[in-house]
Amino acid sequence: MSFSEIWLFLQQGLLSGLVTGSVYALLAIAIVAIFKTTDVPNFAQGEIFMIAGYVALSLLLIAGWSYALVIPVTVVAVAVGAALFQRVVMERVTHSKGVGPQLVIATLGLAYALKGLVRQTGLGDTPRSLPSLVSNDPVIIGDAFLTRLDVAIFLTSIAAMVLIYLMFSHTRIGKAMRAVGMNPRAAQIVGIRLSRIRMLVWAMAGLISALAALLITPKILITPDIAHIAILAYAAAIVGGFTSLPGAVLGGLIIGIVENLVGLFISTNAIVVAPFLAILVTLIVRPQGILGGKPQVKKV
Amino acid sequence: MRTMTLDRWALLAAALVLIALPFTVSGYVLYVVNLLMVFVVLALGMHVVIGESGQFALAHAAFFGIGIYTAGIINTAWHPPFVLSILAGGLLSAVLGYLIGYLALRMRDIYLALATFAFGEAMQWVFLSWEKVTGGSNGMKMDPAELFGLRLTNDLQAYPFVIVLAALMLWLTVALARSQYGSALRAVRESDVAAMAMGINVKAMKQSAFAISAAFAGIAGGMYTLFTSFIHPESLGFQTTILVLTMVVVGGMGSVRGAVAGAIAFGLISELLRQLMSVQEIIYGLILMGFMMFKPKGLFADRNRRVAREVKHKEVQA
Repeated sequence: MSFSEIWLFLQQGLLSGLVTGSVYALLAIAIVAIFKTTDVPNFAQGEIFMIAGYVALSLLLIAGWSYALVIPVTVVAVAVGAALFQRVVMERVTHSKGVGPQLVIATLGLAYALKGLVRQTGLGDTPRSLPSLVSNDPVIIGDAFLTRLDVAIFLTSIAAMVLIYLMFSHTRIGKAMRAVGMNPRAAQIVGIRLSRIRMLVWAMAGLISALAALLITPKILITPDIAHIAILAYAAAIVGGFTSLPGAVLGGLIIGIVENLVGLFISTNAIVVAPFLAILVTLIVRPQGILGGKPQVKKV
Repeated sequence: MRTMTLDRWALLAAALVLIALPFTVSGYVLYVVNLLMVFVVLALGMHVVIGESGQFALAHAAFFGIGIYTAGIINTAWHPPFVLSILAGGLLSAVLGYLIGYLALRMRDIYLALATFAFGEAMQWVFLSWEKVTGGSNGMKMDPAELFGLRLTNDLQAYPFVIVLAALMLWLTVALARSQYGSALRAVRESDVAAMAMGINVKAMKQSAFAISAAFAGIAGGMYTLFTSFIHPESLGFQTTILVLTMVVVGGMGSVRGAVAGAIAFGLISELLRQLMSVQEIIYGLILMGFMMFKPKGLFADRNRRVAREVKHKEVQA
């Protein structure tokens, strides 16, 4: 491999990595936000993302709606669904037993039920992509080659992240979510209703997942297996520290870049192992993650 | 004391049925029973990590696969007494499990779940892509297991060994639970901090519990090679882990009886619905959610509580 080739691959990997990484970052934000406020790593994250893809696909291609309707309906439907899951299932689990493993198992159950549902309907049999709103015209940056769609994905993701940041730092609900994340009991004492905040966090996570799905599905084929993308998001969250939202963004971008570089330099097949390796390297080199801060001891 | 005798009766009845079975039924039924015994050992392994130590690990299928490939490759290459090839698979799983547990449990408990989840996916990819060793997506043919010249070529021949191994693993699980190690594990499960205050090395306990559970899965893989001669990576994915998790959850986390009963019930269901993967997925998903909502301790929890009460009662009298 010549030097100029390596230089080209590096540029291409970096830029393509930023594009896919920004979508992983969105999903990682959803995972971290739920983990911070409810102490649950959401194992259904990938399936929620997948379902969003299928909702959009059914509305667009089967019901024949236009994008102007499909986007808001998909986003709202998935957000409401996620909120209902927290309100109906998770709150009930918390009341019956209330500890970690039970809640995690409930999310695994949701993941599995959703996956089975999609396969049962037969929608998954023919992999399809959503039509793209933005053209696939090339955009050349340096020596690297992106499409306009890529650029749109990246910019929309960044805009969403800015909005999420503003919500957490400037709105009452966002501040309440952060308070619950820091100390739920104290938050309850100052008048925050925990169940409502948890529900809203799940709604937000659903909304973000739907957005991520709408962004990436014109670029990839939708199958029931795209839920696997969540492993990359978990890896991103761990690399970033698992409790830090900026960490999740950074982790997502890093995972995206690593994935693309592995694909270009080694083999596209090897990408499947990338998340596990990223998790291992993080745990060996910096177990608390890049922006994880000092590990905390769990309170009794 | 009543529950003890009940357990004895159940064991006796099970033993009689299992002894009578090979004289009365066809090969397919024996195959299913062999398979159920493998599921029992898998569920016992999951029970050790989730029930006894309160951790989450989602790579059971991967360790099962490691056990199968290790034992199968050793059997094909050297034809040793199968006990050795099964032990080799168990040992390799235990070592890998210990390494992953050692790294993942440095931070948060939940990292074990995430790391093992990613490990499971990575291992399935390894099984699929390492064609020289595993045959990749064509699957791998394995020579029959041998014991001092006896070749196990069908389900009937393998049956007694599978039963004995399953009984041995069951005995090990109960012995583990009753040992001081088991008490220490449950102390860790109930409260990290309280356990630490009593001088228990919490991290070491969690790591070793996960390694033991991985070893169980590896041994289950070895048992599988006694009555099958072909393995395909398809069956070693996340769905197998979820199946085993469902067995343990429905039976009752922390209950050995529950793990065994769950393994038998869901082993049968998965065999009956083998053609209907998506139906299985929906069923397991709904069961997992439903049990967590309405019966988080599983079906056998009440009996455990009764035992606990009796123990307490005895202690008060003493």
